[in-house]
Amino acid sequence: MIVTKNWLNEWIDLSDVNIADLEKTFNAIGLEVDRSVTYTIPKKIIVGEVLECEKHPDADKLNVCKVDIGSSIRQIVCGAANVRAGIKVAVAVLGAKMPSGMDIKPVKLRGVDSEGMICSSSEIGLPDLEKGIMVLDESIGTLKLGRELSEYPSLNDSLIELELTANRGDCLSIRGVARDLSASYNRPIRDCKESEEEDRNMGIGRVLQLKSDESLDLSLRYRAIDFKSVELPLVVRLRLAMIEEKKSSELEDLLFYATYNTGVVLHAYNGSTFNVNADEKAVATIKTDEKNFPSVFGAKKASVVGVKQMKESKAEEEGLLFLEASYIAPDIISKKNHENRTEVGDIFYRTSRGSEPDLNLGLRYFLHLLESHSISKIYGGSLELHSPVDETIISISLSEINAMIGMDIEKKVVTQILKGLGFDLRQSQSDNFNISVPQYRHDISHKQDIVEEVVRLVGIDNIKSKAFVFSEKNRKSDDYSEYLRRKAFRHASADNGFYESVHFVFNERITLEKHGFTCIDQDKELLNPITNTFDTLRPTLLMGLLEAASRNVKFGRKQVKLFELGSVFSTQRDESLKLGFIQSGDLDSDTLLNAGKPASIGFEQFSQRISNVIGDFKLVAYESTHKLAHPYQCAQVIINGAVVGEMFKLHPDVANAFDLRDTMMCEIDFSALKSDLKVAKEYSKYQASFRDLSLVIHQDLKYSEIEKIIEAAKTQELIRFYPVDRYQDEAMGENVSLTLRFVLQSHSKTLEEEDITNAMDSILGACETELGLSLR
Amino acid sequence: MEEWYKAIEEASSVESLESIRVSVFGKKGILAAEFAKMKTAANEEKAKIAKDLNIHKGKMTSLLAERKMTLQTLELRARMEAEKIDVSLFSSRSEKGAVHPVMDTMDKIVDYFASMNFSVQTGPMIEDDFHNFEALNLPKYHPARDMQDTFYFKDEMLLRTHTSPVQIRTMLHTKPPIRMIAPGSVFRRDYDITHTPMFHQVEGLLVDKEGEVSFANLKYILEDFLKYMFGDIEVRFRPSFFPFTEPSAEVDISCVFCKGEGCRVCSKTGWLEVLGCGIVDPNVFKAVGYKDVSGYAFGLGVERFAMLIHQIGDLRSLFEGDVRLLEQFR
Repeated sequence: MIVTKNWLNEWIDLSDVNIADLEKTFNAIGLEVDRSVTYTIPKKIIVGEVLECEKHPDADKLNVCKVDIGSSIRQIVCGAANVRAGIKVAVAVLGAKMPSGMDIKPVKLRGVDSEGMICSSSEIGLPDLEKGIMVLDESIGTLKLGRELSEYPSLNDSLIELELTANRGDCLSIRGVARDLSASYNRPIRDCKESEEEDRNMGIGRVLQLKSDESLDLSLRYRAIDFKSVELPLVVRLRLAMIEEKKSSELEDLLFYATYNTGVVLHAYNGSTFNVNADEKAVATIKTDEKNFPSVFGAKKASVVGVKQMKESKAEEEGLLFLEASYIAPDIISKKNHENRTEVGDIFYRTSRGSEPDLNLGLRYFLHLLESHSISKIYGGSLELHSPVDETIISISLSEINAMIGMDIEKKVVTQILKGLGFDLRQSQSDNFNISVPQYRHDISHKQDIVEEVVRLVGIDNIKSKAFVFSEKNRKSDDYSEYLRRKAFRHASADNGFYESVHFVFNERITLEKHGFTCIDQDKELLNPITNTFDTLRPTLLMGLLEAASRNVKFGRKQVKLFELGSVFSTQRDESLKLGFIQSGDLDSDTLLNAGKPASIGFEQFSQRISNVIGDFKLVAYESTHKLAHPYQCAQVIINGAVVGEMFKLHPDVANAFDLRDTMMCEIDFSALKSDLKVAKEYSKYQASFRDLSLVIHQDLKYSEIEKIIEAAKTQELIRFYPVDRYQDEAMGENVSLTLRFVLQSHSKTLEEEDITNAMDSILGACETELGLSLR
Repeated sequence: MEEWYKAIEEASSVESLESIRVSVFGKKGILAAEFAKMKTAANEEKAKIAKDLNIHKGKMTSLLAERKMTLQTLELRARMEAEKIDVSLFSSRSEKGAVHPVMDTMDKIVDYFASMNFSVQTGPMIEDDFHNFEALNLPKYHPARDMQDTFYFKDEMLLRTHTSPVQIRTMLHTKPPIRMIAPGSVFRRDYDITHTPMFHQVEGLLVDKEGEVSFANLKYILEDFLKYMFGDIEVRFRPSFFPFTEPSAEVDISCVFCKGEGCRVCSKTGWLEVLGCGIVDPNVFKAVGYKDVSGYAFGLGVERFAMLIHQIGDLRSLFEGDVRLLEQFR
């Protein structure tokens, strides 16, 4: 909602209020200031009158004018098409400095002297009005030749754009905003200018009849006008330009202007709209339409009340027209539109938030304007349809108000605030307020609404903060423990070199399916995705990580390490949490340590890094269900016998498509990462012995097979074993040498050489008999 | 004998000193040779020779030990000098990663409220109309509930537009008093320079007996919280409107960039809007079956906090996994 100070001043006296104070007041009472602009017309731009206007001898488009600027008469060459003798105009005289930076000096235009410039609105810093120069009229004040334009308040106005909340339909008009200010500044709101009601030669009843058989919750009021063309005064055109509104005709402009001023919804119908039978009186029928909206019908539907006016029914030409003011409660119209969606016009924004119910106010304002700027004739009387409204009464005590605010506010302050807002307090007794709410404040329905009005007009900044006193209680929740667990794993991931990335949970379905992922079932899919690339919810973190890695590489990074802890969704749309990792390109930064030539990331280093984050796991080769994985470097991650995720090298084709070098990825079910209570086991106090064993094995024999055999054959002295070297050369053919390190220790003694030999023999024996392996 | 003293004093290394020691004290050394001469000496001289030799032996032993220590010290010093490196070559080049600034900001917010004895609650991202709208005093025809802003699914479920449904869920399964926050991702159908279809919120709720919870209490905790997050700033409350609170307010802090002078970030106003809050609307309590209670609620966008705290200009950059941004938070 855009207001200007001068415009507001028509409804409330703000002459002693400066703009900074006005802005502060708006913010304090909950009408947030979004933007503020002050128009200032430079000095030496003054009122002048064009006395003579003749064509330039050497230029078709130029005119040579004699302009009276009060102190003298000057010759000014003007290129505007609308310049003519007899009009009053804005003249920039010699020495003026224009907002564009141009200085006005005597010049010769095609051989003719010109001393000054006749200005358009935009040339003097005002909004663009129309083609050509700005023609002045007395709507801005008395036009005295030679007077500085900077002395006219309506030309040097301050515009303030307010961001209204959805409940404040009552402030969608200049008068509505003024009404809120009147409570804040504690000063009255001015009355509307009256149009003369006497000497009407003919009453509306002679030309129009209203018909309605249904009981409809709305108010309508009609006037009849013999319309003659209207010329909008400069101040109206200027204000419409400031709020960036320009309708299709002057009449539409004037209707809009009256609505914007008063908040009353106004429409004008051409006289033929209601001609149902030729030669008979026009009939307007009010009934519900096919979608159950109350509507106005002539021969055809003319308008849907509070929703839109049909284009054909709009008054555009001179002659008989019917002016209609309407009100329908915002909750009724919003509900109807929700139940039965229909195409809505501009007016719906206003009606669904609450237009002004005082119909007469809008009609009187409009008619006064019309009569002042047109020779139109207005018929006497009006026709109306009006449904009674239930009065809203709210009872609240002063102590209830004070408890909710947390501060003692005096009764007289509360009374003054509520009265200022137009609330009726006549039924109130002692400390109990019985408040009758005006119809235009449909948003006020219970006690807390009243408290809100008091709070905003007292000013929240004037309420003293007070600590809440509460009883001690254990509020540690499972959700909080889970939150801390997430935090711990996120920090562990970061500490091990990965950057946390956050991606939208949206993904592209065809891309996911192309890479072998299964998406949400179609009947549970998103109904209104924002773009095609975000048309489903992700079943995996992998695509987001992959795309992010690819972007980073395109920015020139040689090494990308990212992780994400985020939600993914199953085909049934069940949400679960995954922890995903990607490392692409260089193993480490290029430093002295690697002579600036780091190796590429490999499975073994990646596995080690992931293990540093999530703890010990076993890897088992498997075939992934999606198509991102390298078929021979893909493993299930197993913790305590349960599959918790997968780890793989990115398939070379996919890597290529994403412009990536060697890339490793891993995705873990976060719920499978337990942080169980640790129980300390008893440990041996005797020295441990180490023995290495190099076995010659076929290159395809999996370590997990050997592991299984050793596990089965081991004696109790063997507490741990692990691979430490894998070697292959040409002489070995398809065999490799695998060195295992064995840690032997006893709980009862320091192991003798003999004990160690026995333990190792048992292992070697098993390897020989079960797998046919020999020592190297 | 004197020359040996000189030799010890001039020995240049531990090794040469050792060979001198052998020459002097060894089985074939000069001392042994001198002692051997005693056999042929007259008996009355033997005692004197022995005495002299023993004095020499003692002197030389201590001289050797002293010289050895000196040489060892010198050698250690020389070895260490040879091990000299240019430490400036090894200025830190951390291989550490970093947590995301938005997530880190969320952690800080959660830390504050956890320390103020708020419980942390979470809930599903996919919600139904009741928990996301209806119970929050947003009936179907409410103008604040624009279809355009919400992601719907074909079966009428939706992606939550705020974390408020978590408050509804908590109230439905717990009795008052309640003192909770709900951190999490939320979704709005909006994507431009200042909006992303997903972002993060933390919302808070306090419920106690009727007449106990006041607007003044709400002011207290939010002022304290904002000073914890942003340091020495001014806090301003402006009346506003939210369907689920009444009275409602928006909370501004003095601009952290220009200290309230007015700059581009605060649109020359000197103030930055950071929070929405209010006294819980009675219709919300009615929807969850609470009677005779009062409460306050507040909500904030985590991205906005992170952007203000870390002076990050582009909202969308937070969702791109761009290491150029992320590595600054190591």
